[in-house]
Formats: sequence, C-alpha cells, structure tokens
Amino acid sequence: MKTLFILSWRNIWRKPARSGVLLAAITVGLWAGVVTVGIINGMMQQRVSYLIESEITHVQVHNPEFLSEGFARLYLSDHDSISETLAADPRVAAFASRTITDGMIQSPVKTSGVRIRGVQPDRERETTTFHENLTDGEYLDSAMRNAVLIGEKLAADHHIQLGDRVVLTFENTRNELVSGLFNVAGLFRSASVNYDEAHVFVRADDLIRLMGVGPIYHEIAVLLHEEGDAAAVAASLSGSFPEAKVRTWREISPELTMIVELGGVTMVLITAIIMIALAFGILNTMLMALFERMREIGMLLSIGMNRIRVFGMLMLESALLTLTGVATGVALALLTLRYYSERGMNLEVFADGAAQLGWDYHIYPVVTASDFGVIMAVVVVITMLASAYPAFKGVRVNPMEVT
Amino acid sequence: MALVKTQNLTKVYNPDTVPVHALRGVDLEINRGEFTAIQGPSGSGKTTLLNMIGGLDYPTSGNVYINEVDISNMKDSERIAFRLKHIGFVFQHYNLIPVFTARENVSFIMLLQKRDKQDIDRRAEELLHSVGLGERMDARPSQLSGGQQQRVAVARALASEPSFILADEPTANLDSASAMNLLDIMEKMNREQGITFVFSTHDARVIERARRVITMVDGAVSEDETKEVEQHGT
Repeated sequence: MKTLFILSWRNIWRKPARSGVLLAAITVGLWAGVVTVGIINGMMQQRVSYLIESEITHVQVHNPEFLSEGFARLYLSDHDSISETLAADPRVAAFASRTITDGMIQSPVKTSGVRIRGVQPDRERETTTFHENLTDGEYLDSAMRNAVLIGEKLAADHHIQLGDRVVLTFENTRNELVSGLFNVAGLFRSASVNYDEAHVFVRADDLIRLMGVGPIYHEIAVLLHEEGDAAAVAASLSGSFPEAKVRTWREISPELTMIVELGGVTMVLITAIIMIALAFGILNTMLMALFERMREIGMLLSIGMNRIRVFGMLMLESALLTLTGVATGVALALLTLRYYSERGMNLEVFADGAAQLGWDYHIYPVVTASDFGVIMAVVVVITMLASAYPAFKGVRVNPMEVT
Repeated sequence: MALVKTQNLTKVYNPDTVPVHALRGVDLEINRGEFTAIQGPSGSGKTTLLNMIGGLDYPTSGNVYINEVDISNMKDSERIAFRLKHIGFVFQHYNLIPVFTARENVSFIMLLQKRDKQDIDRRAEELLHSVGLGERMDARPSQLSGGQQQRVAVARALASEPSFILADEPTANLDSASAMNLLDIMEKMNREQGITFVFSTHDARVIERARRVITMVDGAVSEDETKEVEQHGT
C-alpha cells in the first residue's frame, strides 16, 4: 500500500504544471466555497440572533385569538400568573410584557398604518437589545410625556424630526378609536427597513392610559439563559396555562427556521456546484494522464499487477490530487475565516440592498465543524465519481498495449 | 517435460469481418535452460506467438502450457497472477516506471509478490549489481541510457524468479555496444544460472547468439534450428 501511495503521488507530479493548475483550481474553488458558505452562514446566524435578541426572544406568550385577529381586546387574561411563573423559573433570564395594537400614524405630511408596540422600558432593556437600534434621541425611559420611537425610514417618509409631534390613532379594548398626541423622542434603525416602516414604539403605560383600561398586555417575550430550553419552557407554560398560546422562536418565525435550514442546503449546493465544475477538471486531467500512460498500464498488467491494484492506483492519484487541493483550500479558508470572524467582513457596498432584506452588511463568517464535515463529504463523493471513469477505463487496458 | 508447450495454436483477428490468420496451428516446445530466438518478417506472427506464450492474449483455438499448466482458458485475473509468478518480461521500449528509481523498479514486482522487505532490498541490489548497475541504483529511468534502462528491465524480469523470460525485440532500440552488453548479460545468466530466455527479434546479433532459432512465416513455424553458438565474453 505504501508503494502504491508513493507511486500514485509521484505519478501526479509527472506533469507538474498540469497538476499544479488543477491543484490551484481545487484550492481556489474550495477556498471560495468555504468562505461563501461561511458568509452565508454568518449572515443567517446574525439575522436569526438579531431577531431573537432584538425582538422575538426565545419564547412568546399570547392570547391565541390575538394572533389571528389582532384586536386590542384580545389581551392575556392570565398575564399576572404567567409573570409570576416566569419570575420563578430559573431557566428564564428576563421577560417583558408588551401592549400591542394596530393603528395609524399621522403627521402633517401623511398618514400611514403602523403597529404600535407599547413596551415596559426597563424590562424591555433587560429582555431585548432593541434599544441599541436607537440612532438619535432618547429611549422610552426618558421623562418626555407620550414619547414615541419611530424608524428612520418612517421619519423620512413623514418628514418628521426629533421633537416633532405625531398623532397615533388606534382601537381600544371596546373597539373604539382613540387618538393621542405623541412626541418623537428617538429614531431607530433595525436591520430591516420594512420593519422600521411598519412599527412604532411607545411606553405601555401611555398606551394603556389612552385605551382607558387597567393594565393589559398582549404579549410576553421571554429571554432564556439557553436557547435549547425554549421547547421545554414553552411546553411547561402551555401545560400550566392552556388558554394561552405559547410559542418558541421557531414557531413564531418559521422563516427563521427556514433560514437556518436553508443555510445547510445552500452549503451543500454551493459546494456541490463548485465541485461539479472542478470534477470536469479532474476528469479531464486524469483522462489525459491515462491516455499518456496506456503502454505503462499495459506493462503493469503484463508483469502481474492485478486490475484492482491498477484501479486503486488511478483512484488514489485522483484522491491525492484532490485531497491536496482540498487541504490547501481548507487551510486558506480557515485562515480567511479566522481573520474575518474576529474583525467582521464589511460588505457596506451592499448595505442598501441588505437592509431592504433585513440583513446586516457587517458579516462575521461562521463555518462549524459539522459544516466542514458536509463540505468534505460532498468533495469526496464528487471527486470519487469524477475519478471513477478514468480509473475504470484504466482497468480495461489491454496488457498487449505494452507490445 | 517442456517448460513451454503450444498445441495447434491458432489466432485469428477479426474473424467476423476481415479475418487475419496470425497463427496457424503452431506446435512448439521450449525446454528449461534454452536461449531461443523467434525470428521472422513483420506480420509473420512472432509477436502474437510471444503474447500467447506470455499469457497476454487468448488463442482462437489450441492450447498453451507453461509448466504443464494450461493457461489458454484461464480467467484474466488468474493469468495476471500466473504471469506474476511464472513469466518475466523484457520489452522493446524498456517500459520502466518513470517515477521509480532503478532499485524501485526492480523491487516493485517483488512487492506485488508480497515478499519480505529485507529479501526485496537484498535481491534488488544483487540483480542490479549483476546487470552492472550497482552504481546507478537510485537513478530514475530518465537519468539512464537506453542500454542501462534495458538492463534494469532485465533485472526487473528476473526479480520475480520466473520460470522463463520473454523478451520482445529487446535490442531493437539499442546501439551496438549496448546491445552486445545486454546480450552478454543475458547469455551469462542463461549459461551460469540456467535461466530460460525466449526472444522475439529481427536483430541478427540476437539470432547469432541464440542456441535455437525458430523462424515464423505466415503464422506458422517454417524452420526450427538448434545450434551451437560461439561463446562471447562476459
């Protein structure tokens, strides 16, 4: 086996330029593939983490009818009991209650539909990182009366500036329209322009006061110490409060689950596309090498090297060539990923497009060990398939080729 | 007991289209220790005969016996194993493995035989010394002259300790001095160690040295002459 290994390795380097070009192609292909996968993974993970940390959190509790109807009267009747349960659960890092209603924002310029989210500023700071999206002004824990935070895009559309006043009109629990004058305390910019256009934030107490009711909350957002506990916490809450709808982030935002799953599929697809392209290079190189060595293979068969060994030798040549390229490609990719996973990859040139889609443009690429496992598996399978044809052709050489 | 025996050996190429009768019922016996040349004009069937005796090709009819074993109907894998054990080959174009050194080329066939490593190393060195390449053992074929490459090929053919060696036009690509040197080595091995050589050749120098000359014409043995040849220096 050692001799076969040496023979195969030396055979690769008979034509250093040819093998070198193929090696470079595999190296660059793998490098590009792994880095691309890393960027896509990073974007997806950042998107998922951002949404979980800035708004969705790990678990949410609602009145099930609120989810389908969206009326203000469909609040959580068990809010206080649920809050007590959550406060006593050691898996819970923090939770915040939200009063939510759909309404309109009216400025001197125009009127547009928005979802009004009434939050408890202190609890919301502990539970989400949404306050970090503030780009100007103050958060809702300022002393300003009837403060509202609006997205930069919405502010631009309405020609609104800090300190301006807007009217929010919404439905109360008795299905009556209520209006209130709010002062623009701050502007925010999340990762999604669409989100920024469609949501405004006010203090829950202000909203409740204007609704003319006692404390009502439509949503409890729960941040856990461990994401892996989400399903268990949701299950225990559902058991204790069967009237409430308890959902994990995967259920709340199926698109996030899809993003995570898509990441895996994308990785396989990208690697496969790159490797299929490279496979033709491998096939071409190995066929050329085979045709040049028909007489030599005939000689090997003549002197007594069996066809299985000939097949093994040819496959080993492909495998060694590919694995060398893969090793250098992966090493380069690891160095690249290491560099950018610490500093981040600034794709500011795509910032506008990324913001439309809700993606961050400062990407921290991520490739896990299992990702590398999948990539390697795809590489090995495609390489072996590409190598098999020349190897089978080699095995069928007539030993009389030598004479 | 004949070392090699062919019985009514026939080979027809393209039997269904344009039949070419390469061998027409050849009956032949080659005994242990012979130094035999098969000569004949191009197309006479000498290479086909050599391929049959070497187990490289299948006859259309007839049989080939090596050490009384009929190899005519052996499966391909059995033939390869048989060749590894019983037949040594020397080719016109040397056909060494270009990425191996002389030592590795000679060792390779013994590695295929799964011999002991120390035995392989010892025998490879002995054989290369015996063909006068003790100083060039670590040279690759590209660093050797044609004559030296052919001597490595002879050492390789002997490495597996075969029953006999088939040499297809071994001197065809060599200059006179190299050809004579190679023939001296093979003749010495034949004389001193009793190794059987069977050549296919056009080369008058080989025919002159051979103790038996089989002449092929139109796929049949036209003449089979055993002679006493003058011993050349070694």
